Amino acid sequence: MAKAMVGFLAAGLSLGLLAGCGGEEGAEETGPDRPGGVIGISVLTMTNPFFKEIADAVTDEAAKSGYTVIVTSAEFDPAKQRMQVKDFLVRKVSAMILTPADSRAVGTAIKEANEAGIPVFTADIASLAEGAKVVSHIATDNYSGGRQAAKAIIQALGGKGKVAIIDHPEVESVILRTKGFRDELKESGSAIEIVGAWPGKGSKDEAFKVAQDILTAHQDLAGIFAINDPSALGACAAIEKKNRAGKIVVVGFDGQPEGKRAIKEGRIFADPIQFPDEIGRRTVQTIMKYLEGEKVPPEILIPTRLYYKADAEKDPALKAD
Amino acid sequence: MPNARPAIRRFLANYGMVLILVLLAAYYSWATWKEQYPGGEEAAAGVSEAVGDELGPGTRVLVVAQEGARAREFAAAAAAALRDRGMNVVGVVLGDPHDLRTELERRAASPDKPAAVVATREAAEWRLMQVLPERFPSLAKVRVFSPRSYWWPDFLKRSNLLAIADRIVVIAVIAIGMTMVIITGGIDLSVGSLIALSAVVSTLLVREFAGASDATAFGMVLCCLAAVLACGLMGAFSGVMVTAFSIPPFIGTLAMMLIASGLAFILAGGQSIYQVPASIDWLGRGTSLGGIPNTVTLMVVLYAGAHVLMTRTVLGRYIYAVGGNVEAARLSGVPVRWVILFVYAVCGLLAGVGGVVQASQLQSGAPTYGLMYELYVIAAVVVGGTSLGGGQGRILGTLIGAFIIAVIQNGMNLTGVESYTQKVVLGAVILGAVLLDMLKKRRST
Repeated sequence: MAKAMVGFLAAGLSLGLLAGCGGEEGAEETGPDRPGGVIGISVLTMTNPFFKEIADAVTDEAAKSGYTVIVTSAEFDPAKQRMQVKDFLVRKVSAMILTPADSRAVGTAIKEANEAGIPVFTADIASLAEGAKVVSHIATDNYSGGRQAAKAIIQALGGKGKVAIIDHPEVESVILRTKGFRDELKESGSAIEIVGAWPGKGSKDEAFKVAQDILTAHQDLAGIFAINDPSALGACAAIEKKNRAGKIVVVGFDGQPEGKRAIKEGRIFADPIQFPDEIGRRTVQTIMKYLEGEKVPPEILIPTRLYYKADAEKDPALKAD
Repeated sequence: MPNARPAIRRFLANYGMVLILVLLAAYYSWATWKEQYPGGEEAAAGVSEAVGDELGPGTRVLVVAQEGARAREFAAAAAAALRDRGMNVVGVVLGDPHDLRTELERRAASPDKPAAVVATREAAEWRLMQVLPERFPSLAKVRVFSPRSYWWPDFLKRSNLLAIADRIVVIAVIAIGMTMVIITGGIDLSVGSLIALSAVVSTLLVREFAGASDATAFGMVLCCLAAVLACGLMGAFSGVMVTAFSIPPFIGTLAMMLIASGLAFILAGGQSIYQVPASIDWLGRGTSLGGIPNTVTLMVVLYAGAHVLMTRTVLGRYIYAVGGNVEAARLSGVPVRWVILFVYAVCGLLAGVGGVVQASQLQSGAPTYGLMYELYVIAAVVVGGTSLGGGQGRILGTLIGAFIIAVIQNGMNLTGVESYTQKVVLGAVILGAVLLDMLKKRRST
C-alpha cells in the first residue's frame, strides 16, 4: 500500500518538476487589442467589512480597465498571506495589493514578488520590512482625521471644557490620529483641556471599562475622543450607565455602520469617516498609472470627512431603521 | 479467504486517499490549463531568432525586462543574441514601466527610434505596452516581440509544486506527532500556540543572546534548538497531565494552548521580533542538494523516520496497542504511561520545529503565528485516514492528507475561488473524509 502511495506521489511530483523545461521556441507579437490582465489582492481579513469594501472597490475599478481581480484573505496569518503571494506569482499577476497581516513578517513575501519583478502595492496597512520594495502605499490620512475630530469637539463644546482620549497607542494609525487631535487643539488656541489618554485596546468592552474609570475620576468631564467606533460605543455605554448622557460629547473615528447609527441616534456627536472604497479605487488607479509608466508617489493619503447627525439622517445606508 | 477481504478493503481505503489526491491534481491541472511564457536565456534565444528572421540585420531593437534575476538573464541573453544576428540593439531597459516610458519619450523625439521591442512576457503585459500606439503615435509602428507561449497548467509548474510543499511543510511536520497522539486515542490542541511560542522564543533568543542581526549560523541553530526543546517540554508536560493526573487530553491540551499562546504574547510583548539575520531563512526558503528546498528535505527525512518508527519498531507497535485497547496493552506489559508521554513530547517537539520553520520562512517571529493551525493539523491527520477513535492510522496517510489540504487551498487560489467559499469547500472535504472513516468502521464491524 505504502509503495503504491509513494509511487503515485513520486510520479505526480516528478512529472511536475520536469515541467517548465521545454516548450516551443519563438516569438510572439503582442498587439494592443486587449489591454488588461490580472491583479491579486490579499487583505488582512474578510470578517471586517472595511476590508471587504476595499476588495469590492478594487474589483469594480479594475474591471473598468479590463483587469480581473483575485481576492484572497490572510485572516491575520502572515504565513497564509505569503502563500497567497506565491500563488499570485504562479498566476503571473500584473500587480498585487497587500494589506499586511504583520508589517514585518510580510517582508519575505514582498521580497519574493520583487525578485519576480511583480509590483507590490499596500493598502491601509504599510509594510515596515527592510529591503522589501513597495511601489506605493494608499491609506487614510489619519493625522488630518485626528485634526477633524478635534474640530468637531471644539464645535460641540464651544471651545472650552475637559476632554479625555480613549487611546490604542500600539497601532501606528492611531498614534497619528491622537497626534492630529492634540496638535489641532493646541494650534486652535481653544480653552479645551485634555485630562489624559487611557488605553482602550480599540475594543468595545475595554473602552467600556476604562471609560467608567474616567467618568469616576473626572466628574466635570465634557467630552471624549475615542480613536475608533468600537471605543466610542464603549464610551457611550459607560456614559449611559452612569446617567450622564447628554452631558458628555463623544467623537469617534471610522464611520462603521454601527458608529453611523449611533451618530443618527445622537449618542456619538460626529465621526471623521474613512473611505475604504476610495482607498480601493485609488489603489487601482495608482496601479494603472504605474503600469502605464507614470511616476507614482510612494504614499497616497485619502482624507477623512466629518460625518454628523444631519449626514446620518440623509444616509441611504441607514434608511432601513 | 475470510482474511483477504478486509485486507483488500483496507487497501482500497488507503488507495482511495491517493486516488482523491490524484483526482484533485488532475482537476486543477485541467482547470489551470493556460498559456505559459518561458523566461530566462532559452526564451531569449528563441525570441531573438524569430525577430532576426523576420526583420533582418541592422534593425534597431530595444530590449525590455522587469527587475529580478531571471529577467536580467533574459535581457542580457537577448541583447547578445540580437547583436550576433547583426541587429542594432539601441538600448536595454531593466526596471519598471516608468523607466521604459522615460526611455520611449526620449527616443520618440529623436531620430533613433527603435523599430522593434523585445520584451519578457511580464514587461510585454505592462499597460504601457498595451496602449503604446495611443500614447506615442510616433511609435505606433513599433513591433513588440515576446517569447512564444506554450500550453501547460499553472498547477503543474515547477514553481507551483514547490510552493505547495512550502505551504504544507509546517502542518505536515506537526501532523506526524499529531498522528501518533491520535493513534493513542488522544488529541493535542496546543500545537498552533506552540508554533507561535517556538517562533517567538527562537527569534527572541537570537535577538537577545546571539547578537541580533549579526548572529552566526551556529548561534541561530542553538537558539532554534532551544526553542524546539522548550516546546518538547511543553508537550511532555501535557503528557504528564494526561497520564499522571488522568486529565482528558482535550482539556489538558486546551489549557496548554492558552498557556503557550499567552507566554508567546508575554515574551514578545505583543510585537513581532524581526531583529534577526536575513540568513535565518535558510531552513524555510533555502535550497540544497541541487535545488531541492530544505523544507522538502526536512519533510522527507521526518516522514521516513516516523514511518520506520511506526511500522518497524517495538515502540511503534506499543503506540498502536495503547490506542487499540489500553487495558489489553497494560496487561501485555506495554509501558502505557511512557508511551503516552512520549507521543505528546514528540508532538510538542515537532510543533517547535514547525514554529522554527515558520519563523525562518517569514524572517521574524510573532505571537500571532499558528492561529487555528491545530485544526488544520488534525484535519490533515483525519483526511489521511487516521481514526479519531485511536488504534488505527498511517504516517504516510497523514502526508497524503496534508497534501490534499494543500492542493485544495492552492488550487482554489489559482482558480480564483472566493475566500468565503474556500472555507466551505475545505470544511466539506474534512467532513467527507470523516464520513468515509465512519463508513469504513461500520463496514468492518
